[in-house]
Amino acid sequence: MKSSLKTLFLFTFMLGLVSAQISGTVTDESGNALVGANVVVTGTSYGAAAASDGSYNIDISDLSGQTSVSLTATYIGFKTQTSDVDISSGNATANFSLAVDAIGLKAISVTALGFEANRDKQGSTSASVTPADMTRSGEALIANTLASKASNVIVNSVSGDAGAGTSIKIRGSNTISGASQPLIVVDGMPINNSQIYGNSSRFGGVSQQSRLNDLNANDIKSVEVLKGASAASLWGSKAANGVIVITTKDGSSGKMKMNYKRTQSYDVIHDRLEMQTTYGQGRSGKWGVYAESWGDKIADRSGAADEVDKSKPYFVSEDGEFTQYTITAKNSKETYVDKNFEQVFRTGKYVQDDFQISGGDNTKTYLFSYSRLNQDGIIRNSYYDRDNIRLNTKFRLSPKVSMSSKVGYTYSSSNRLQRGSNVSGVMLGFLRTPADFDNEYYKGSYWSGGTENSGRHRAYRRYVGGSSTNPIYNNPGWTINEQKNTTRVNRILMSNELTYQPFEGTDVVLRQGLDTFTDNRESYYPIGTAGSARNSGAFDLARITNRETNYDIIARQNLELSSAISMVATAGFNTNDRVYSRSSSYIDGFLVNSDKFTTNLNTASEASSVDNGRLFLRSNRFYGVLSVDALDQIFINLSLANEQHSTISDAYSYPAMDIAYQATDMVSAFAPFVSFAKLRLAWGQVGVRPGAHAFETLAESGFGYSAYSDPVSVGQWGGGYRVDNNKGNDKLKPEIKTETEFGTDLRLFDDKFSIGFTYYSNEINDMLISRTLSPTSGYSSQYANAASMTNKGIEIDGSWNVMNNQSSSLELNFNWATNENLVESLAGTKVLNLAVGNVTSVALAPTTDANGNVTKYPIGTLWGTGSQTENGKWDGKLILDSNGFPQLTTSLIALGNPNPDWRGTVGVNARWNNFSFNMLFEHSQGGRYAPRTQWVLRRFGTTTETDNEVTLATDLKNIKGSTIPAGTTVRGFVHDFGGGDVLLDEVWFRQSIGGGFGNNQAYNFATKDATFSRIRELSLAYSMNNAALASTGLSNITVTATARNLFAWYKELKGVDPGVHVGGIQTGSGLDYFANPTTKSFLFSLSANF
Amino acid sequence: MKINLKGIITMKKFIAPLTVVALTMTSCEIDKSINDNPNDITLSDVDARLFLNGAMLANTTVQVSHLNRITGMYSGQLIGFTSLYSNIYGYALTSDESNDEWNAAYIGATTNLRHIRTAAPDDKLLVGISKVVEANAIGTMAILMGDVPYAEISGEIEDPAFDSQKTVLASLSALLDDAISDLNAASTRNESFDIIFNGDKDKWIAAAYTLKARYAFVQSDYAAALTAANNGISSSAGDMLYKPRGDASINQGDKNLFYTILAGSRTGDLGNAGSYLMKMLNPAESVYRGNAKTNELARHNYYMIDETSASGNTGVAAQMEPQPIATFAENHLIITEASARSSFASGLTQLNAYRAWLTGGGRLNTVHNDAANYTYDAYVEADFASGGMENADGVTKEIALLREIVEERYISGFGSYMPFNDHRRLRGDGETNLIVPFPLNNAAASKHVERIPYPQSEKNANSNVPVIADSEALYTKTEVNK
Repeated sequence: MKSSLKTLFLFTFMLGLVSAQISGTVTDESGNALVGANVVVTGTSYGAAAASDGSYNIDISDLSGQTSVSLTATYIGFKTQTSDVDISSGNATANFSLAVDAIGLKAISVTALGFEANRDKQGSTSASVTPADMTRSGEALIANTLASKASNVIVNSVSGDAGAGTSIKIRGSNTISGASQPLIVVDGMPINNSQIYGNSSRFGGVSQQSRLNDLNANDIKSVEVLKGASAASLWGSKAANGVIVITTKDGSSGKMKMNYKRTQSYDVIHDRLEMQTTYGQGRSGKWGVYAESWGDKIADRSGAADEVDKSKPYFVSEDGEFTQYTITAKNSKETYVDKNFEQVFRTGKYVQDDFQISGGDNTKTYLFSYSRLNQDGIIRNSYYDRDNIRLNTKFRLSPKVSMSSKVGYTYSSSNRLQRGSNVSGVMLGFLRTPADFDNEYYKGSYWSGGTENSGRHRAYRRYVGGSSTNPIYNNPGWTINEQKNTTRVNRILMSNELTYQPFEGTDVVLRQGLDTFTDNRESYYPIGTAGSARNSGAFDLARITNRETNYDIIARQNLELSSAISMVATAGFNTNDRVYSRSSSYIDGFLVNSDKFTTNLNTASEASSVDNGRLFLRSNRFYGVLSVDALDQIFINLSLANEQHSTISDAYSYPAMDIAYQATDMVSAFAPFVSFAKLRLAWGQVGVRPGAHAFETLAESGFGYSAYSDPVSVGQWGGGYRVDNNKGNDKLKPEIKTETEFGTDLRLFDDKFSIGFTYYSNEINDMLISRTLSPTSGYSSQYANAASMTNKGIEIDGSWNVMNNQSSSLELNFNWATNENLVESLAGTKVLNLAVGNVTSVALAPTTDANGNVTKYPIGTLWGTGSQTENGKWDGKLILDSNGFPQLTTSLIALGNPNPDWRGTVGVNARWNNFSFNMLFEHSQGGRYAPRTQWVLRRFGTTTETDNEVTLATDLKNIKGSTIPAGTTVRGFVHDFGGGDVLLDEVWFRQSIGGGFGNNQAYNFATKDATFSRIRELSLAYSMNNAALASTGLSNITVTATARNLFAWYKELKGVDPGVHVGGIQTGSGLDYFANPTTKSFLFSLSANF
Repeated sequence: MKINLKGIITMKKFIAPLTVVALTMTSCEIDKSINDNPNDITLSDVDARLFLNGAMLANTTVQVSHLNRITGMYSGQLIGFTSLYSNIYGYALTSDESNDEWNAAYIGATTNLRHIRTAAPDDKLLVGISKVVEANAIGTMAILMGDVPYAEISGEIEDPAFDSQKTVLASLSALLDDAISDLNAASTRNESFDIIFNGDKDKWIAAAYTLKARYAFVQSDYAAALTAANNGISSSAGDMLYKPRGDASINQGDKNLFYTILAGSRTGDLGNAGSYLMKMLNPAESVYRGNAKTNELARHNYYMIDETSASGNTGVAAQMEPQPIATFAENHLIITEASARSSFASGLTQLNAYRAWLTGGGRLNTVHNDAANYTYDAYVEADFASGGMENADGVTKEIALLREIVEERYISGFGSYMPFNDHRRLRGDGETNLIVPFPLNNAAASKHVERIPYPQSEKNANSNVPVIADSEALYTKTEVNK
């Protein structure tokens, strides 16, 4: 390469300027390389594409005596720029800094099959997200970078844990069973995007990763979000939740280029729950070793040291630094809310180093990238480390044959903390700890009667360690330091493509993809961990392996039917195969109290168990697409996919069509300010395949029964079997979503203002649910095609290019969307739980009241016990008891809709000389959220929600009917439920329906309006690519500072981000229960191109 | 529209790749066996006996778990101190609380017991046992809730009808008769999957009679109860129990369920310190039932639950302590009360026989079986005569004797449904003078609980569930107690 250039220089010199070389860079206004941008010498065939660092080289061999040429730089989604270059010296430099095209709409879209298409000719909707948009947000995980970037694409980080999964919902929930997560196609290969819980629970273990996290955002060239059924239908039964088509970067021919980028992020807790420091541990206004903080007023204590009885049992910490004797009188006024917070949380940080090198020539290109991410989560001891290696190559083997190979390898390693509904979780113990208890010394010896019991767990209910090893709830220090939950993932993603062009206009493409990973998990709970199963020590090993292979053969043919009509016909065949296996081994009841996590801690055979689960899936699909372009105004796509699947008995077909009509000429005739107008209409079907292995009713083992924390397990009774509760079903077919959408795309005032409007409506039939059976029928459930649901909504996307000139620009973009979801039928089932606990998130069948009025409910409806009301609705007029208190409903009722009414985003992109500024603001209106953590903590009395004191002006009753006389000063609130003032005191919060857990709570007081606004992203970048750098060998340096999730405003919620869902990424939302909190971040990045 | 020639030629060329695609398609039939479940075993491959222990564990949950504890709270025996149990104790009980037992009875027990009968119709031992356990599980649901499905269950009917409580109990009594004849035709063998009686057919026959007696008794059919009980469990060696087992270092899965719940995060949530039952056994309390012939210290200590620490328990909530399902004590006290209802003398004889058994240690475990701590001397008629030691308030001797027997049932029945069933039965029969006068759990309450609400799990799917207003969900009497 280098030598050939030298030769060229020499040749040029010798011939005396009959040739010239032009080089430079093409970047966006922030200085980000625009890889693949085209630079051509106007009016000639000379040109080049920009490499991964944005650089290009054009060699002109025949100048025809010209001393200057005109260069044009073009790039998808950016304004074309033209520049005159003086080439009289034989060498010239021309750098282009392209402005984002009006609208920011990217002119080229990527179709479901991975081919590029002109967006202006599409009748279906899709949205693309540029790499610059993604990397600027500084999210370590690719899924999170898509947040707020397009209408009706809702991305929620469901937990702030490093490496945790992210929920992506396109146009609301489109399925009931499983996750409403879109299909992710990377370089033509559908990849695994599951969040596998394995041995841990969705609600109570650690937050598991989503496999989408394995991709490195810096490797991505383009992301296309196919929202509508018509756009996605070629993926058949994988596409019901939409498809995200991701293309990784290619190398580009020209000089070898290198890029190095370092990103450093500092993360802190986003929402901190306010804890009270007024009252100490205890009950009924007295200090005592109870679960709750309804004790004495700390300010009223003497302030002297606590009185202790040294003859009674005491605790000595492991390091001998701290001794706690049995307290006989609590005098200390010290509180530890902040200290206990510091024990759990820290400033998290991550450092990501990205190195990329690319180059090539006319026949081959290469791109190699290496990325290393080291992240320390905001909860101490949590980490997520990831290495990504990628090699993408392309070869032109002959004029008719080319091939490409894209291979990515990911290794990640992490430790995450137990969370959620889980007594060995971090938040549960932390938030329940009384203000006057110091969590610092959590492990040591319990001394009783001169005997030392070492390795005991000290928590606030076992403050001297205790005679039993069970602390009831973990001290957070124990969760963080003594337990381990590590995950190590090895993954290979490979996509190879061979293109053969036997004739002009004919392509045959062979694609082969492989996605394989192993996920090794270890969970270790030493002796003394809270929870009856873990108390005597438990060690859980799981190994998950997954392999998916995908083959496509695609033939494409261009047909010019006449000068006015052209067609592209595509036919293809796909086969996809998946093999999944999880093996786990478990031991408990350690014989040895050791920190070493090995299976030798108990070698008794009865202490160990093994378990294995496998899954096999295969599908074959053939498909055809016919695209017609008539008169350059009417564009029609017709497609059909016919699919066979191992989980269904008969093949299914998925048809789709879309039409676009470019009406610019017609419209501009009477509205001259319209520079582009398109009307579009699309219709299509997509589906969800049934789950595997559900045809037969089988014998199940490894089961147990428990009514309330009192399990019996057949494994401990000699094994044994039962008829599976879940009745088999050999009549399964795919669920089918049929969607119609129409809309218009307009660009006004010379493309300065653009707006797209879409209305869609879909119905989903034959939905696969685990239908609830009457237990008396002998089974609890049956997996069946037994539900239907509808979604409809409006989406508006647009932008306004306020100004744009050489030195500055300002662009606003916005999107706004609604989605209304209704469950139409559950075929006899009344309620389907999507989560656990009280309140929970459910699918609820329509109900008919006494007057015959039918009420339909949206998916995810919150559901639990509430208060009896006159109309039976959660917010109806309360039926009060004779003392003026609400009364519990015996049955569960709908407690509100967690889905927002609408959601909108406004973005600002501004540039001034070398500075650029971005802001992304989003608002979500309406919807209800169940901050269940806070509701439970009312019972515990640890939050400021219960920090109030009132002196009664008149006699008042409490919920138990006791009269509290006037003049009494009590902790609580005077409240009027509609029947006159009553007293909400400790009895209301701690012993009754006003706080706590279980089904026996008035949860209609527990849900809140989830409306929020937030500045999701603020960033400022400075880019240097002037001559000053030339001597250093650098072509460009960009420094960016970003703040992510910095400000948020909640209408009613406090202390919890409404994006949090303790159930992870599955369907169902709006629930918190001691979930690990989300983060806000400050990021700094430096990118240098060589 | 003119179609140019070039297009036609290209279409010809297109045939080649199309052929490739078409050829691939022909070989695309998917082998359906891929969808055969690779993890679970086909029902027919599993021996029928292997379904027995699971069904018995399901029945364990029905008999001695959450609902049993709840009825204890509504009978003055247990107290919910905090969390869920303090709400339930305060009568805030919802339909979700009975889901697990209901599912265990109808699915966990019945579906599997019937599968055993279908899979091994000639194994009379298994067939007989399966019928006894089914009658036990469904009978408990019927007694607690009233009308429940039976005739149409566990088959192809998706939403079985609810049969009247009396009809169900009659059907179960007939099922027990069938079981007895099956067991009579069977022979005893070591059957390790029978985790109750290890395949001892005689014990099963006796247990079947005791259940028959129970079902007649809750309907106040004392004659039928007596007849059945006379063939029932005749010694504590024949007690039908949930017997914990396994390695003591593993806290759950095979341990006493009181212990299990207290060993986890529910420590402190419920217990019996200060309950009416415990007061009756405590000499320091005014309601202490001891007298010159009776010392209850041993039972008091045996019954005491240390809710603050599971491992601190040595009595009924000790890790390895068995829990009663159907016992000699129940059987004999059925005989006692039924006898007393026809003859004072015979009632007294039976009561004294029972007290003699208590004097032998009764149900006490080895920790608490200290003869110094208990006395149950035989009563004489004078003790029940007006002014006698068991008749301070001057009722008839018959009433005084019955009252003492009911009280003994209240004490002996701790840990079973007997105390809850007795006070509902007696209230239904207008014999409130016989009921142990345990108080309501708080000042706001005005009436005693008469039923357990129908489970949400059935309500969610079966439209035949009888509709009971929220305010009456706990208080509507079941058929036998009306």
